[in-house]
Amino acid sequence: MSVNVSSGINMKFLYAGIAIALLISVLAPFLASPDPDGLESAAGGVVDEKTLSELEGAEPFVESPMPDYSIEGQGKMGEVIAIVAGTLLVLGISFALGKAAKK
Amino acid sequence: MHIPDSFIPMSQAIIYWLIALPFVFLSLKWARKELDDMKVPILAALAAGIFAIQALNIPIGMGTSGHMVGATLVAIIFGSPMAGVLVLTLVLLVQGFVFGDGGITTMGANILNMGVISGFIGYYTFAALRNKAGIKGASFIGAWFGLFMSAIVCAVQMSIAGTFPLMAGLATMGLYHLIIGFVGEGLITAVVITAIEKSRPDLLDSSLTNTKGVGV
Repeated sequence: MSVNVSSGINMKFLYAGIAIALLISVLAPFLASPDPDGLESAAGGVVDEKTLSELEGAEPFVESPMPDYSIEGQGKMGEVIAIVAGTLLVLGISFALGKAAKK
Repeated sequence: MHIPDSFIPMSQAIIYWLIALPFVFLSLKWARKELDDMKVPILAALAAGIFAIQALNIPIGMGTSGHMVGATLVAIIFGSPMAGVLVLTLVLLVQGFVFGDGGITTMGANILNMGVISGFIGYYTFAALRNKAGIKGASFIGAWFGLFMSAIVCAVQMSIAGTFPLMAGLATMGLYHLIIGFVGEGLITAVVITAIEKSRPDLLDSSLTNTKGVGV
């Protein structure tokens, strides 16, 4: 029955993983740096102002429901909800895909 | 390093999709062959954790921030860069479609950079150094180098797209991601791999934890 015992331990790993992921999700809106990321920073440094405002003003190809990990008008709490929802969505999709793919 | 739609013209964005898609299919093939009841929960927990930690940008100075990518971490745990490609593809799909982080047209380029290039270079650098540098050192250097090289490739793509000048793009992208890779990627990957090796060595792919060599 060693297989059952190990898979039980792996479910504990899953729950611990989920707990850590959710903890980070809740804290991220308060801890994350507001500074632009490496690519945006580089763009700000190497692209002339006219092109930069064109790049930044361009509409995305597809409108996303929660742009920039936020919910309009909901402030920090909206960000927490957005990131927690994203974490659970990724969890669900990868678990379902894994179950479907496994031999 | 998520490239928005506007940064790459459509014709070039399609080419990056065409390069990335075979890797996505190979990663699904990997999943069919390798995943079992033991590994599915680990994959799901890692994917969720990587999505969450990518939302946590850390400041690196110069008014710039960065976050972990995680492909090398996943690749080391599963003993295959294909695992990193699979997890990053899933994370990027949700980020792109739900949160507008990274464009939909540029998602092929983002999968290529963050999943394929950072995962493959990170994993094989780790594998090459494991016996000499130990698991901790090799995972640090592998993750750091994988992220750095994906930023270099991204700068080249930006230059081909006509968005960045080549040399200035290489210099700034290189410098920022040298630091992001050091703090955000190398350190976190080494800490997580070391923690798993200490507490649950059976979770790591056996060929990589066996320091005497592969296939023993």
